[in-house]
Amino acid sequence: MKSANKHKLSALIAALVLPGLSLAQDSTAAPAPSAFSNALFNTLLVTSLVLLVVIIALSQVLKNIATSDRLIRNAKKSSTPTKTALVIFLLGLASQMQAATAPVANDSIGGMNQFTFYFMVAVIGIEAMVLGLLILTMNKLLREELTHEASEAAAAGKQVSAMPSMLDKLNASVSLEQESEIMLDHDYDGIKELDNDLPPWWKYGFYLTILVAVIYITNYHIIGTGDLQTAEYKKEMKAAELAVAEFMKNSANMVDENTVKMLEKSDIDAGGQIFLASCAACHGRAGEGGVGPNLTDDYWVHGGKLADIFKSIKYGWIEKGMKSWKEDFSPMQIAQLTSYIKSIKGTNPANAKAPQGDLFTEEGAAPADSTAVKTDSLQLKTDTLKAVSPAVEQR
Amino acid sequence: MTDNNKSHNLEKFSYDNTIVKWFAYATIVWGIVGMTAGLLAALQLVFPVLNLDLPYTSYGRVRPIHTNAVIFAFVGNGIFMGVYYSLQRLLKARMFSDFLSKVHFWGWQLIIVLAAVTLVLGKTTGKEYAELEWPIDILIALIWVVFGWNMFGTILKRRERHLYVAIWFYIATFVTVAMLHIVNSIEIPVSFWKSYSWYAGVQDALVQWWYGHNAVAFFLTTPYLGIMYYFVPKAVNRPVYSYRLSIIHFWALIFIYIWAGPHHLLYTATPDWAQSLGVVFSVMLIAPSWGGMINGLLTLRGAWDRVRDEVVLKFFVVAVTAYGMATFEGPMLSLKNVNAISHFTDWTIAHVHVGALGWNGFLTFGVLYWLIPRLFQTKLYSQKLASMHFWIGTLGIVLYAVPLYWAGIMQSLMWKDFTPEGQLRWQFMDTVTKMMPFYAARAVGGTLYLVGTVMMAYNLVKTIKAGSFVANEEAEAAALSTTYVAHEKDHWHRAIERRPVQLMILSLVVVAIGGIIEFIPAFLVKSNIPTISSVKPYTPLELQGRDIYLREGCYTCHSQMVRPFRSETARYGEYSKAGEFVYDHPFQWGSKRTGPDLARIGGKYPDSWHFNHMQDPTSMTENSKMPAYPWLLEDQVDVSSTVGKIKAMQKLGVPYPEGYADIAAADMEKQARVIAASLQNDGITIEADREIIALIAYLQRLGKDIKGEKKETAEK
Repeated sequence: MKSANKHKLSALIAALVLPGLSLAQDSTAAPAPSAFSNALFNTLLVTSLVLLVVIIALSQVLKNIATSDRLIRNAKKSSTPTKTALVIFLLGLASQMQAATAPVANDSIGGMNQFTFYFMVAVIGIEAMVLGLLILTMNKLLREELTHEASEAAAAGKQVSAMPSMLDKLNASVSLEQESEIMLDHDYDGIKELDNDLPPWWKYGFYLTILVAVIYITNYHIIGTGDLQTAEYKKEMKAAELAVAEFMKNSANMVDENTVKMLEKSDIDAGGQIFLASCAACHGRAGEGGVGPNLTDDYWVHGGKLADIFKSIKYGWIEKGMKSWKEDFSPMQIAQLTSYIKSIKGTNPANAKAPQGDLFTEEGAAPADSTAVKTDSLQLKTDTLKAVSPAVEQR
Repeated sequence: MTDNNKSHNLEKFSYDNTIVKWFAYATIVWGIVGMTAGLLAALQLVFPVLNLDLPYTSYGRVRPIHTNAVIFAFVGNGIFMGVYYSLQRLLKARMFSDFLSKVHFWGWQLIIVLAAVTLVLGKTTGKEYAELEWPIDILIALIWVVFGWNMFGTILKRRERHLYVAIWFYIATFVTVAMLHIVNSIEIPVSFWKSYSWYAGVQDALVQWWYGHNAVAFFLTTPYLGIMYYFVPKAVNRPVYSYRLSIIHFWALIFIYIWAGPHHLLYTATPDWAQSLGVVFSVMLIAPSWGGMINGLLTLRGAWDRVRDEVVLKFFVVAVTAYGMATFEGPMLSLKNVNAISHFTDWTIAHVHVGALGWNGFLTFGVLYWLIPRLFQTKLYSQKLASMHFWIGTLGIVLYAVPLYWAGIMQSLMWKDFTPEGQLRWQFMDTVTKMMPFYAARAVGGTLYLVGTVMMAYNLVKTIKAGSFVANEEAEAAALSTTYVAHEKDHWHRAIERRPVQLMILSLVVVAIGGIIEFIPAFLVKSNIPTISSVKPYTPLELQGRDIYLREGCYTCHSQMVRPFRSETARYGEYSKAGEFVYDHPFQWGSKRTGPDLARIGGKYPDSWHFNHMQDPTSMTENSKMPAYPWLLEDQVDVSSTVGKIKAMQKLGVPYPEGYADIAAADMEKQARVIAASLQNDGITIEADREIIALIAYLQRLGKDIKGEKKETAEK
């Protein structure tokens, strides 16, 4: 038994070291993306490791069953550690292979090359088979033992339930009937203590978390194959930029301060909705101003042209407390807002804030002392100007 | 077999039950108080009108009252109740000194009352779970020493050679809480009720969450594990499942727990290596935590049928199961990819309440139902009522946690949602509005839980009235012989168990390692906090505003930490850098975003926006759930405190010019006038000496310095 344990330990160490070695090669050879940054590879690796731990734990349980005093038989216990070691070896080999064949990127599955993928799947398959075998064997042994116990109990004239026994096996606990054998001579105010062994699944689970910790630190800090948060952020931004650019290629949403035009009534209404939700707090529900300037008069702090208003919304005037809205609204929405703001000019709302900024006149329009005229001309513009895109409706 | 079985030289003595009774009463009373405060806070999130527009009842002060009351008053007294009862019996000795017991009890209640009063008045350090100001901190340290002295005195005069596992946990609790409390509370007093944390920014964050995380570990967990190890086997009358498991999970737990603090700071400006240590030690914590759960649950082996009938066992089973769930969830939340979703949301709140309501609450209730009838030599007044308490409490936990899990994940996903055009899909306020039904459901869950607790109080009062109290419970045991010959086949760990002082020193060493290894590089290696030349100290007015921000508990709802995610830089601006916080005594990163992040709020809105918003938040943000702060418009800034504050900051190394304290008041007035003038421009007339002006000054400064750096580099 001792030697088998030693074997297992060395196998574990091998499994721990081999992927590390292969990664070391990886990082020196080329800046090729590490397999560890591949989500699929990580998932497969973790799955195989978890299965491995389950196998080890179960084989321990099996050993307990097989060696229980009622059932001394020439069980298959000797074969399990060998199998375990084999699986670990294969696992190490798999990561070696993956390192060796990393540059081949053509026929990839989920970002891994085919060979690695199938190899990992095969390893998991083999593990699953071993696990299945273990469970079958255990079931068989347990059933035999239970019938044995039941007949014994029947002879003694008492009932034995099957469930606790199964739980005991899983935890490698000494059965209730025999617990006096492991009762320690401790007595604290009547509290006694049993000397049950550590539950195998717990013990190997603990080892697994330590293994995970070592791999984690190795990956992120010793060989540095994992992305730390700044690198991760840069990648996220890059990917988003590409995705947005790709979307915009096929989208009619492209409008900026150079191309912005007065939009149709439906768009102005949409802009009005946005205005009420996001702008009214500072500029008043009717645009009369408050915290922010009045938007209905002829005076503008940063220009009253369509393009100016569009720019003010898009980039903001941070120093004056106007935030940039380009992360909140799409270009089309900003255009809708711009049109809406243009449309409320001269509406003379109640409680209007005193004018701020410079007097502004539309090119070609009459000097601004008659608001009535302006409203008309604006109305005209609204009707005649085409929408940039009817495709993007309000969300 | 054991020494005390020798029938000769038996000594007669008695157990002190009075002190246990007092702590039990205090547990019940403070439990109801703390939970009521929690319920009020929960309701305020749904109905902001319940903030009553008063400083004393606004959410930012109620929430620290709730957390402090349930942790230090409810669970704290629960710990002492369990320890004082079990310690005497496990050691076969009366408490070392009845006088010290009394000092401990009344001292602790005094601390609680002082805490409640000062927190209501807004006296706070602004550090979560360590809000109490320096005079109370000192008092806590003194009373804690009294507790330890009394406990060790008892241990030294014990009649039981070896210390039982429960006592290992009590000892580890004592030394570690002392260490955490003292290190985290190092602060420089400005006045009797005002101090500044010795640490700043990243370092303060590391120390604070080393403390905060291990307050969970060594105040809410280890003493309760000790209590579990006594009361569960007593109640079920079964041997503890595995002695070996006790040993391994005890040492592993206290060693590993300490390291895991930085998992509260994932994706922040904390150095990467510290974050990674937080992650891996959290993962390694699963098994040691579960060791306690296994040992608790498997002790019930062979007695499961009794769980159906005995209400005490029901409470214990749910408590230990909740412990197992929370300690599995914790490590999962510490994985960076999960934390990216969960952090700052109500997922965290749900998580801690599974622990608090399930583990601490239910274990306490189970102990009370078991203990009170024994102290009063009678039967529980009503098993049926206790059983109803169990079910209503369980339902309360489920109704509390499930909506918050749902809501937390939902809100996080909304925060991260982009349209294909690349804009954020939701305004922050949209996500808040969506939370309301869930917050309401949570308040219902909390109400049920509180109702259950009140039912228990009634049941216990009835029990107490029916019984007769035994103040001094007679007992006898043999004294320890001066010589001891170890059994040959003894487990090696027995040697430690009979040496309490060595056990204490060893556990102190074990718990000190993690903190030392994490702190020393963070304090000594400069590269961990790269300096930013454009980051300057706060002006006196901003400093006063910052203290108002602390006083009103703004950090209970607003973070100041933009994490490096696209969704956060798009919403709030550039992600936060370590160098930005070097003058933040204390740091204000926060742990929850009930409202939006404020790290870059400076300059985002005009002064008048802030003015209107503080006066009535709904005027600027429809449906806002933030309390109104009308008193900030009335109250004047305490100018006389400025000199002391600047001098204290200078002592902490903040580079104000020599002698600046004397001219600070003038600077302050100048800046206040500018803000008042800007408000005047927008039609708001207010005196320049009001608190609102200082707060606006602070808010408008937040996150701006780093923009200065950009300009500098652009000019170059």
